[in-house]
Amino acid sequence: MAVGTETQLAPRRQAVARTHTRRRRFPLGPWAAVVGFGLFAFAPVYWLLITSITPDSLVYRYPVTFFPESVTFDNYRSVFTDPEIFGWLANSVIVSVITAVLSVVTSMYMGYSISKFRYRGRRTLLYFVLSSQMLPSALLLVTLYGVFSTFGLLNTYFVLIISFTTFTLPLCVWMLKGFFDNLPDDIIEASKIDGASNWRTLHAIVLPLAAPGLVASGLFAFMRGWNDFIFALTLTGPERQTLPPALVNRYIGEAATDWPELMAASVLVALPVAVAFVALQRHLVGGITAGAVKG
Amino acid sequence: MTMTNKVRPQRRDASGSTAHEPQRSARRISDLRFAWLLILPGVAMLLAVVLYPLVRSLSSAFFSESLLYPGREFVGLANIQAALGDDFLRLLWQTGIFTVGATVLPFVVGLGVALALNARLPGRSILRGAFLFPWLLPAVVVSFLWMWIFDASYGALNGLLEQLSLIDEPRAWLFDTATARGALIVAKSWNAFPWIMVMLLAALQTVPEDLHEAASLDGAGKVRRFWTVTWPHISGVAGIIILLEFIWNFQHFDLIFVMTGGGPAQTTQTLATALYDSAFRSYDLGQAGAIGILWMIVLLILVVVYVRFSERKEAN
Repeated sequence: MAVGTETQLAPRRQAVARTHTRRRRFPLGPWAAVVGFGLFAFAPVYWLLITSITPDSLVYRYPVTFFPESVTFDNYRSVFTDPEIFGWLANSVIVSVITAVLSVVTSMYMGYSISKFRYRGRRTLLYFVLSSQMLPSALLLVTLYGVFSTFGLLNTYFVLIISFTTFTLPLCVWMLKGFFDNLPDDIIEASKIDGASNWRTLHAIVLPLAAPGLVASGLFAFMRGWNDFIFALTLTGPERQTLPPALVNRYIGEAATDWPELMAASVLVALPVAVAFVALQRHLVGGITAGAVKG
Repeated sequence: MTMTNKVRPQRRDASGSTAHEPQRSARRISDLRFAWLLILPGVAMLLAVVLYPLVRSLSSAFFSESLLYPGREFVGLANIQAALGDDFLRLLWQTGIFTVGATVLPFVVGLGVALALNARLPGRSILRGAFLFPWLLPAVVVSFLWMWIFDASYGALNGLLEQLSLIDEPRAWLFDTATARGALIVAKSWNAFPWIMVMLLAALQTVPEDLHEAASLDGAGKVRRFWTVTWPHISGVAGIIILLEFIWNFQHFDLIFVMTGGGPAQTTQTLATALYDSAFRSYDLGQAGAIGILWMIVLLILVVVYVRFSERKEAN
């Protein structure tokens, strides 16, 4: 993003820099800030990882040791060989992947319709979609619990998938509408003049061009399903529960918490999102900031 | 919105002569149908999973209703009166402190990191990605991690403060009425600042470099340059960020529920956790609906104030 401006202004800036040698060669201030804020950001992550590979005997010791003398992978072993945790992991994968797919499909259709067609109520629809994310989920849960219970749907994948998909719509529709807005109408017109139907134009011409947006919104939807706590806690029992509420029920109780094992389980929960993020970072950051800077 | 609405392609054909009329009207109808078909699944889901539950939950406020048995009985404003009497101001105050704290602190940190990373540092895009990490973590992982850091016996915070000789004996940060709320705000801020940082960084990159050069040629210092050049360019985005963070924190549930469960002595209870407790611990849907209504009113006031404020700012 900045590259464009920097190259445009480069000659002028160099000229200014040459005449006024105020610019320090080493940006000391920014680096000091990066290190300071970095400590706040990464010390907890260090602690998460270190605790997960520290033997119990060293974790529960006083005073606290920040650099453990020995390392163990027992905590990871007990997490990975626990059939219950594996079941919750499978639930999380199933729910989040289906949520991501369903959410991308639904929101790309909605985003395309809102972006490229003009009809009355379109704007109202967009505001309705956007404002729905301001609603407290606890409030919606009260009724959803009753409705799903009436239809005998509690403790199914369906209730989680349909809820998560709906709650990701605002953001995904917003992002994809932005992508479609940037797509020149000429492409669509040309395809129609060639005799392609609306349906074919959308699928064969438009969607491939919007692929980066689809990826970003898919990742958001996946994260929504993967990270959710309150819906999975309330609407499902142990058999269909995803990892977040299941881990809370499992580890945070009256009895003393097994912190090293819980930290290892936390790494397991965080890992898929982190890996996906590293792979798709550029699309994701673009997606996060898309609406803000333009709007 | 009715089916009689007209659809027109975004760009009208220049050659809109009468000879093409029959064909164009056929195109119009199919465009309208198509546009409507596309939004149908999403709208159906929003109606079923958002709008209906919202209306139904809010209407519960006027009935005596429980999750334990079917049926509802109209009770008028009794639930709302009960909710207002029932420590409502204290709940609102506690929600307000958490919301403001968990908005201001990560904003300051996010702005600091964004400004630092906006300098031409080598490896800045890698740093930006790395700084996003706390934001990626699921809320329960953030909760687990900070519960462990704040642990009364073996927590890293106690260990650190003791080694720095800032405290004499370990403290139970999350079980102390004086520190529990602050601890929650720190955890929430750690989780939230990366998103703010990325948004602000994107905004900062729209600030024209030559304005900075011009200001510094005029002898403006760093602080002055920030307020006269940088801030006007990013204040729009900053306003959106603060409004969104405010709304999200106002309804925040996960961290509070997992880390303190509203305790100790109800000091970290907010409207969100109180609503959840009414519905799923006391099974009192009427009470939950009443809290919901009061909540919507407060939120609406806040949004109206914000809109008024930003309109006036724009007018100036």
